[in-house]
Amino acid sequence: MLLPRLTALFTSLGLCAFAEAAPTQYPLTIDNCGTPLTFAHAPTRAVTIGQAGTEMLYALGLGNKVAATSLWFNDVLPAYKTQNDKVERLANNEPSFEAVIGKRPELVTVEFEWMVGPQGAVGTREQFHELKIATYLLPSDCEGKDNRVGADGTRLEPFRIDTIYKSIEQLAQIFDVQDRGEQWVTELKAKLAASVAKVQQKGVKQASALVWFSSTDMNVDPFVAGHKGIPDFMLSTLGVRNVVDSDEEWPTVGWETIAKANPTFLVIARMDRRRFPADDHEKKLAFLRSDPVTRNMDAVKHNRIIIVDAMALQASARMFDGLEQLATAIDGYDLPK
Amino acid sequence: MTATLIRTLLALGMLSLAVLAGVAIGETPIDPLVVLQVLANKLWGAGYALNPIDEGIVWNYRLTRALVAAACGAGLATCGVILQSLLRNPLAEPYLLGISAGASTGAVLVALLGVGAGLLTLSAGAFVGAMTAFALVVLLARVSGTSGGAGQIILAGIAGSQLFNAMTAFLITKSASSEQARGILFWLLGNLSGVRWPSVWLAVPVAVAGLVVCLWHRRALDAFTFGVDSAASLGIAVRRVQLVLIGCAALVTAVMVSIVGSIGFVGLVIPHAARLMLGTGHSRLLPASALGGALFLIAADVLSRTLIKGQVIPVGVITALVGAPVFALILIGRRNAR
Amino acid sequence: MSVLSCSGLGFRVRDAELLNDIDLEVRLGETLGIVGPNGSGKSTLLKLLAGLRAPATGEVRLGGQRLGELSRRSIAQQLAVVEQQADTDEAIRVFDAVALGRTPWLSALSPWSSEDDAIVRQALHDVDAAHLSKRTWRSLSGGERQRVHIARALAQRPQILLLDEPTNHLDIQHQLAILREVQSLPVTTLIALHDLNQALTCDRLAVLDHGRLVALGKPLEVLTPQRLLDTFGVQAHYLTDPFDGAQILRLRST
Repeated sequence: MLLPRLTALFTSLGLCAFAEAAPTQYPLTIDNCGTPLTFAHAPTRAVTIGQAGTEMLYALGLGNKVAATSLWFNDVLPAYKTQNDKVERLANNEPSFEAVIGKRPELVTVEFEWMVGPQGAVGTREQFHELKIATYLLPSDCEGKDNRVGADGTRLEPFRIDTIYKSIEQLAQIFDVQDRGEQWVTELKAKLAASVAKVQQKGVKQASALVWFSSTDMNVDPFVAGHKGIPDFMLSTLGVRNVVDSDEEWPTVGWETIAKANPTFLVIARMDRRRFPADDHEKKLAFLRSDPVTRNMDAVKHNRIIIVDAMALQASARMFDGLEQLATAIDGYDLPK
Repeated sequence: MTATLIRTLLALGMLSLAVLAGVAIGETPIDPLVVLQVLANKLWGAGYALNPIDEGIVWNYRLTRALVAAACGAGLATCGVILQSLLRNPLAEPYLLGISAGASTGAVLVALLGVGAGLLTLSAGAFVGAMTAFALVVLLARVSGTSGGAGQIILAGIAGSQLFNAMTAFLITKSASSEQARGILFWLLGNLSGVRWPSVWLAVPVAVAGLVVCLWHRRALDAFTFGVDSAASLGIAVRRVQLVLIGCAALVTAVMVSIVGSIGFVGLVIPHAARLMLGTGHSRLLPASALGGALFLIAADVLSRTLIKGQVIPVGVITALVGAPVFALILIGRRNAR
Repeated sequence: MSVLSCSGLGFRVRDAELLNDIDLEVRLGETLGIVGPNGSGKSTLLKLLAGLRAPATGEVRLGGQRLGELSRRSIAQQLAVVEQQADTDEAIRVFDAVALGRTPWLSALSPWSSEDDAIVRQALHDVDAAHLSKRTWRSLSGGERQRVHIARALAQRPQILLLDEPTNHLDIQHQLAILREVQSLPVTTLIALHDLNQALTCDRLAVLDHGRLVALGKPLEVLTPQRLLDTFGVQAHYLTDPFDGAQILRLRST
């Protein structure tokens, strides 16, 4: 099933290499999460809410147009460090509405609808649009997802990778850097294909996995990845079964259930946030190895534990790095056939 | 004397059966025979060859949870009895003194603001919050009251609880992402999933000690039936008894809340149920309430793990769902008895 | 010999002085009545004498010792109180309510015994409430509850009994019976009374007026028509009952 998709991917990659991206025609109107946005020209100042959007703008070479950033989960990618150091950080978590408009942006990129949306922690989209500030929500958080239901929103359909490509392409279009955007999308697609190919040779038919994000307290039921979300997409792209049975994005599942499911390997998140003790991946490892039940799990006994950046488990360009990490790690394992 | 001995053995028997049930039933199915074999291995080294994961689950997860549930239920019910008797109010329960509200605030401060910089666990924060709230409530009662009557401390407790609950709500809405908020909420509603053997060594002795202290004062508690003056005229050192027993109730409740979060209704409903069945003498009421609380909470924990497959409902939700209609029935029963 | 006494006793609540400079000596075995209009401080005086409140000025002595130096338990073994109003929401049985009276005598070394059972039964019998023994508190009438309170105080087997208007809710038959019972007991009794004719049966009377002790002595010497006019605001004169020669008060409004 994966093979025809791969073929189509390689073909389109080839075709893309020959086409040249057209410059953006202004005024530009795009539909973004149910709201039409109109741009008379490429925005000159932008504020970002959410690391995914921030790093996308940096990757597209638009760092000098970023007036301020906010909402960070990990350290910025090393490649963008010098660029990022020059940019003001409004907040590590959510910024206040006034702080954002105080930077007089023409565009605000938003990673999560619960930041800017009907129940936005920063404000509603209307509040910004009244001040003639466009808000661009990354499609991964609104397409196929109902954010009014469930704590993190509920995905109505499994996450689709094209929403990430769409984010990059639309941002490139808005800022009139479409050739850079297309080039990057091509690179990302190639990365994904390479990861899949690496794992295909390994033969992971029987493999299962669990993705552990964090827990409220060290011993309590952990937040793990359910179906339909990004981590689940990563696992299924690599042909690995997610042992968690829930349709929620990040349900809490008891360690007893996880231990009995005995996944082939575990994926744990690394992050800079230190709200819960389990945020620290070292503590997660220590727990897995010392707890009298988890230390008997196959994955722990054979040290098949993969540490991935939290950003790589979210809808961002880093997801492709995460995929690569997973693929490399799996390649190194001695898996039962 | 033999009647008491028989009753004690019967009570211990019921408790053991309940703990066994809590060990045998859980999120995933484990053969009852395997359960018994694990216990045999651990208790007297029987040497059965068993899957180490099964062994770990039964001994380290389920048994500890059942024991802590029993200790917690017993502790909260005992505290409910003392507070209802001392404060002369049938609606009194362990969280009246602001303890649960303070625990929530303490836990939220640790989890959301990183107070304690990762050195304080959620439980430690909850305990500190609980005792702080209790101290403030007592201070408020003393400052506002004249003869230290029950009415004063109840009002002070309500005021304190409102204050700390408001702070908790504020902190959650201001600083929590939805994932954090959900995590905190889950903990606040009562959660036995993080329990391991260290919690057992804390919860069980505290519950037993609390019960012993209260039983020691059983005659004094009986003497409060007709009020504070009546108790004083019957020879009870009212101030000292109030101090010791309310302090004891606060400590036991704070420890329990810091281990398992806020589990409501146990401290309110179980004493009433015990009174309905056994009358008002504290020498029977206290042990009966403790037993009832233990059995109730073990059952609630089992239900919370098995009601919906693959998902755990917070124990506090179960106790409220069961406790509210039971309480309504008790109220109706009392009215009919008039 | 005084078993209970107070000197210079005063009590105040915020700015109001409820009692002012009371000197009183209760004699062994006597029945001392305390009378006075509402708000004169009768209840307050009894509470202070029982040690249930701390005086603002002065002191109370029980058997020669200062009340503050005695433990509550030793006070309770000598002195029992029947309050004007004491109630409960609990479904306590009458027998258990009276059994509470044995509290000052019970301990880990002397637990409940058949002797305590007998004392409780006797107390219930004395107040004509033996038939109520198994009833719950809620099912009793006001008068029955009052009798059970008195039984509890009797079960305490005190040397001194303090009663705060014990006959308020009782029907006349029980009022007279309780008074007769209380006076026949070999205990020293302080009883606050409303009915002035009943007060005449006491050994001595103390009259309180606005927190001051204005008269103390034999009833007929103390309840003079002048006193009744000054303190109680009524016109009074004595009549002699031809049946047994007893003096009765006839009261008219002014």
